[in-house]
Amino acid sequence: MTQFANMTEAILAGDPDRVKQLAEEGISRGDDAGAVMAAMIGAMDIVGEKMEAEEMFIPEVLMSAKAMSAGTELLKPHLAEGGGGNKGTLVIGSVHGDLHDIGKNLVKMLMEGSGFSVVDLGTNVAPDAFLTAVKEHSASLVGMSALLTTTMPVMKEVVDALKDAGLRDQVKVLVGGAPVTDEYAEQIGADAYGADAGSAVRIAKSLV
Amino acid sequence: MANIRSNQHALLSPMARKMSEDQCRNLYWACLEILERTGVCLHEQAAVDLFKKAGAMVSDGNRVRIPAGMVEKALGTVPRKINFCDRNGNRAMQVGGHRSYFGTGSDCLHIIDHRTGQRRKAVLQDIVEGMTLCDALDHIDFVMCMFLPSDVPQEKLDRYEMEAMLNHTTKPIVYVTTEFSGCKDAVTMAEIVAGGADQLRQRPFAACYINVTTGLRHNGEALQKLLYLSGKGLPFTYIPSAQGGVTAPMTIAGTMAVNNAGVLAGLVLSQLNNEGAPFIMPGWGGNMLDMKTTTQPYADPGKRGQAIDFAHFLGLPTFSLAGCSESKVMDQQASAEAALTLFTDALFGGNLVHDVGYLESGLSGSLPQLVICDEILSWLDAFMHPIEISDETLCLDLIDQVGPDGQYLDHPHTMEHFRERWYPGIFDRSNHASWQKKGAKNLGERATEKVDKILADHKPEPLAPDVAKAVHAVIEG
Repeated sequence: MTQFANMTEAILAGDPDRVKQLAEEGISRGDDAGAVMAAMIGAMDIVGEKMEAEEMFIPEVLMSAKAMSAGTELLKPHLAEGGGGNKGTLVIGSVHGDLHDIGKNLVKMLMEGSGFSVVDLGTNVAPDAFLTAVKEHSASLVGMSALLTTTMPVMKEVVDALKDAGLRDQVKVLVGGAPVTDEYAEQIGADAYGADAGSAVRIAKSLV
Repeated sequence: MANIRSNQHALLSPMARKMSEDQCRNLYWACLEILERTGVCLHEQAAVDLFKKAGAMVSDGNRVRIPAGMVEKALGTVPRKINFCDRNGNRAMQVGGHRSYFGTGSDCLHIIDHRTGQRRKAVLQDIVEGMTLCDALDHIDFVMCMFLPSDVPQEKLDRYEMEAMLNHTTKPIVYVTTEFSGCKDAVTMAEIVAGGADQLRQRPFAACYINVTTGLRHNGEALQKLLYLSGKGLPFTYIPSAQGGVTAPMTIAGTMAVNNAGVLAGLVLSQLNNEGAPFIMPGWGGNMLDMKTTTQPYADPGKRGQAIDFAHFLGLPTFSLAGCSESKVMDQQASAEAALTLFTDALFGGNLVHDVGYLESGLSGSLPQLVICDEILSWLDAFMHPIEISDETLCLDLIDQVGPDGQYLDHPHTMEHFRERWYPGIFDRSNHASWQKKGAKNLGERATEKVDKILADHKPEPLAPDVAKAVHAVIEG
């Protein structure tokens, strides 16, 4: 796979200019945009693995995500319909009462880098807003973040609301945040708990 | 015979600093510039109004820019030392200068259960046992609740925490509440125990730990607590939590500047609200996000010392942080990090030093780990004592009397003085055979035994039944 080895290297190095240059060269050479995209996503998978293994630092991960973003922008017009490698749509937010968003933002960036489409509802998100977004965007994943023990219970409210609205089977529910645990995820009927942004991506891919 | 000597009794005790006076001054000016140039966002209208009335520049609704003169004035009226009493109204801690007092932290979600070795969710009974332990330990001077009780109604968990602390120790308390209403209830409970609002103000035995979002962004609940407590003349700690690399620059200086600009803004507000109100600033600074694990490391070497230097420069009491570890268990890392952080804070002179006994960056607590910290503090207490070089302690007459070939073991002078040296409680100095005979135990095992012994033997002084009842009524009400 030496054809895209340079691209992989540029993503891992977090070099947006190099990524754009390589993407342009590829397109003018006649490479399939979808294949270039797939190579970039593959590189981001490696970034996610390294992050989870504590081999890459967060600022480096974010630079890679930026580089990925730059490349994606460039490739978009050349991608065939549905050829963007869209693995599914994730609706994500920090639950009602919680304003903390750094972890959520990291998950969003890595999920986008891995080929998911992400609808970010922001912070302080009420259960209704999750439901509306799931319906509107035909989401296959719901991600919830909470940093406070006092806001964690909203996660259960969202899961219950999804059930009541007949949407629970349509989506996989992922939860995360410092006070959240595997046991808590199981207790409230979520599908999985992610201890950090890197594992969130790995888990999301295994669920859809 | 002439016995006049100059400079005879200069007693020095160990101390350390990281920043010079000039460096502190530079940092201070940086904070002043941030306050004048960038300003702070205050998410509470009453706070914004106070600043506006006093002459600060307010824009975009809640962006407040504070002129340096207001900060200088506030530094002139804030107390440099705060007297803390215990639950019975006896003087307990003089918080300021280089006096160090040590206490636990609050709200650990989990406990490493010393009976089973398992990490489990903390419950109210863990707070009861924790407070009983703190009440007994010689080197714990004040308490925080240690654990977050998962088995009480969660919207009132802070009231349950306060009640448990009030009932199971007479030592001073630093409490945390999730919202402003909890703070008011905590004060009500403390006033009941003190015998009234005036009594609590004159002999405060409880202070509120206020966490602020970041140096330049002050959340509503933090400001409400500051206004309420300063209005009542009750002590509190005002602790913005800027994180280097996230909500502040990655450099230690940058994080210190952002965070302490926020501290000074809070200080000015407290003095505008009530001149002379007590105020306690952070004794740690240069927080960072660990860029590999996204945890916030408590025992990071970069956040030790300089904040205490800065507080000494400003003349403010500090709420410092030590005796804590990132370790998930009570292992070698836990002891190493606890000892290193306690050592630095003692040397630098942090005042109210909390989080003693913390594991897993504050997510897990451990009773034996607290006992190990108490032993470390006992060691430090002995280490920090000045040495007296005087005629009495040099005992030249005795030296001449015993001579080159004599020995001191059975001399009355040795008998008189040998207890002045430090002896360990749970650190072991036995020879190998003796240690084996005693069961070949390691420090963790000996600490665990001490926990069991204290919990079995120690009975903290209870509150009078009518007082306990009145305190409980605040939870129900």
